[in-house]
Amino acid sequence: MRKIISVIKREYIQIVRTKGFIIGTILGPILMAALIVVPILVQFISVDKQEKIGVVDLSREVFMELDKKLDQKLKDGNRRYFLQKFEIKENVDQLLGELNKKVLAKELTAYIFIPENIAEGGIAEYISEHVSDFDKQGNIGQALSSIIIEKRLRGEGLNPEKIGQYMRPVRLDTKKVTTRGVERDAGGTFMISFSLVLILYMTVIFYGQIILRGVIEEKSSRVVEIVLSSLRPFQLMAGKILGIAAVGFTQYAIWALFGIAATRYSGNIVSRIFPAAANFPMPSIPTYIFIYFIIFFILGYFLYGTMYAGIGSMVNNEKEAQQLVMPVTMFLVIPIMLMMFVIRSPDSSVSVVLSLIPFFAPILMLLRISVLLPPFPQIAASIVLLILTTVLMIWISAKIYRVGILMYGKRPGFAEIVKWMRYG
Amino acid sequence: MDALQINNISKRFGDFYAVKRLSLNIPEGTIYSLLGPNGAGKTTTIRMVMNIIIPDEGSILVLNEKMDDRLQSRVGYLPEDRGLYPKMRVGELLLFLAELKGIQRFEARKRIDGWLKKFDLTGWKQKKVEELSRGMQQKIQFIATVVHQPDLIILDEPFSGLDPVNTKLLKDIMLEMKSQGRTIIFSTHRMEQVEMISDNICLINKAEMVLEGNLTQIKKQYGKNTVVLDYEGDASFIRSFPEVEKIDDYGKFMEIKLKERSDPQDLLDKSVGKIRINKFEVREPTLNAIFIDKVGEPNAQDNIGH
Repeated sequence: MRKIISVIKREYIQIVRTKGFIIGTILGPILMAALIVVPILVQFISVDKQEKIGVVDLSREVFMELDKKLDQKLKDGNRRYFLQKFEIKENVDQLLGELNKKVLAKELTAYIFIPENIAEGGIAEYISEHVSDFDKQGNIGQALSSIIIEKRLRGEGLNPEKIGQYMRPVRLDTKKVTTRGVERDAGGTFMISFSLVLILYMTVIFYGQIILRGVIEEKSSRVVEIVLSSLRPFQLMAGKILGIAAVGFTQYAIWALFGIAATRYSGNIVSRIFPAAANFPMPSIPTYIFIYFIIFFILGYFLYGTMYAGIGSMVNNEKEAQQLVMPVTMFLVIPIMLMMFVIRSPDSSVSVVLSLIPFFAPILMLLRISVLLPPFPQIAASIVLLILTTVLMIWISAKIYRVGILMYGKRPGFAEIVKWMRYG
Repeated sequence: MDALQINNISKRFGDFYAVKRLSLNIPEGTIYSLLGPNGAGKTTTIRMVMNIIIPDEGSILVLNEKMDDRLQSRVGYLPEDRGLYPKMRVGELLLFLAELKGIQRFEARKRIDGWLKKFDLTGWKQKKVEELSRGMQQKIQFIATVVHQPDLIILDEPFSGLDPVNTKLLKDIMLEMKSQGRTIIFSTHRMEQVEMISDNICLINKAEMVLEGNLTQIKKQYGKNTVVLDYEGDASFIRSFPEVEKIDDYGKFMEIKLKERSDPQDLLDKSVGKIRINKFEVREPTLNAIFIDKVGEPNAQDNIGH
């Protein structure tokens, strides 16, 4: 045991001291925060400019109302959209050609083409250089819809004063039912659980690769036989996997501290910048999700970590390793691809079966737990199956590792690996 | 007492015998060399002694016990395939390897400093391994092999890659360790070193032992039928002499094996005047000659490493 601890210590210190670890640990949360904050900031910044939009209104009934409806204001009090009407001089094509030129010359951000039969189902067009500003397109589309629907309703003889009332949209409030009752949930809880699943996926792959590289380094630098004159191969493999696990937990601990600090103080900061956000409930994650997260991370890490160690022992360099690692990585990628299906129908029998498969369980069972807590026997079954598979994998990998770590030269075929496992 | 007893061990990889029915007894406090061409089974034998490979048959007693984890701290092993963690600092790497042998940090630090000084590497302690030359790395590997003061030291090709100065340094340290009562087993291709320091030798070829025993006695068995000639000129005429059984000619130096019952004096008489003779010595064959005699053509020993 003392020898394993020495190996753990070595692995831990060697990795934690690298620039890669320090940068990754600090940059990780910053990147994640940036992913959330930057789009919000960008939206606020980019909005700060008036946009000139041309309108070709063949129906001759929409422009005035559209101008009235698109009344979003910029921070300085000016209108966000400045609409300019264009009339046909010769024919439609000539006008549209001219407008296309204006858009390309950046005189107009975009122009809107409204056909004569817009009220009867004709299709309006939005033409711009950039067609991915969904916010703007949404504003315009909504404004056009409500104008046309109002027009139709008026045509049916409805009281114009009441139309506004009829057209009031329905508010959809999302709530989540749990054993503790019904809670208001703006999707935040789910988003955080979803991120936990992704974090599990990424860290298992990331640390698996570190194990793989470590084993290959030991082998290709020929240090392994020197080390093995002091301890058994299994002790070396176990020490390596545990040491890198300790690195993973250190990284998680640092991130968790960041996270706690962020949730404690970010509320203040956010509400100072956007007063409206103060009403937004801070999402809370039930403790049991964290506990299951840790269980599935540990089991997933050991399952995949030992497989990566076994593969590392079979090959001579990282290039050779990549081919063998592919199928293992596929086992991690498949559940990620199945995620959307499981989210949509978390308790379908297909989802249940998929989440019981040990190689998928760390991701899919954790996902099911965070979407819709499955019955406990299912969770217990997946954990038991996962533990059994992990033990089996450790046994197989240890046998391969013991022989492979001292074998140089040609990468072994499948038959040869089976033979290795039989070597006493 | 024997430091190592190998009883009839065999190891097969598929249909290929790496070691076949090998038995050895290595007395305590001696230097023992394992000789043989590449692929003869030396490294496999050593790995079986180190419990890295398990023999198919036979048994091994190391320091009178079956090899196990506890015994690893009494044995020092320098493998043939050796290297170091390239990113680690020399000092902490040696400390790690010493800790694996069960030495306390404080004691380990003291010994490591002593060894680094002995090898003139003190200034390199804080450097990363990858900054060291191969020769320096080899010295670090040797320190790791002996830092725990093992009773039995097993060195697989310890001299390969060392320059003459370091070869002498290593040879001196091996003799010093022998004088401390430790047992040293080493494998090599280089016969000069074996002749200088070995007490006993074992020659392995194609998985089987072909010669074993005390070096002096082995040489005596071969008898004084070898002439070593140090000469200048064209000595090719010697090949046609009826007394000659075998010649190993190096251009200025010639090792001649004579047929039984022929007189070296005849050879000298017939050579005088034809070449300039700087030295004419009648002696036992060199180990090199014995090696070639037993194993065959010398091409097998030329390339070092695999």
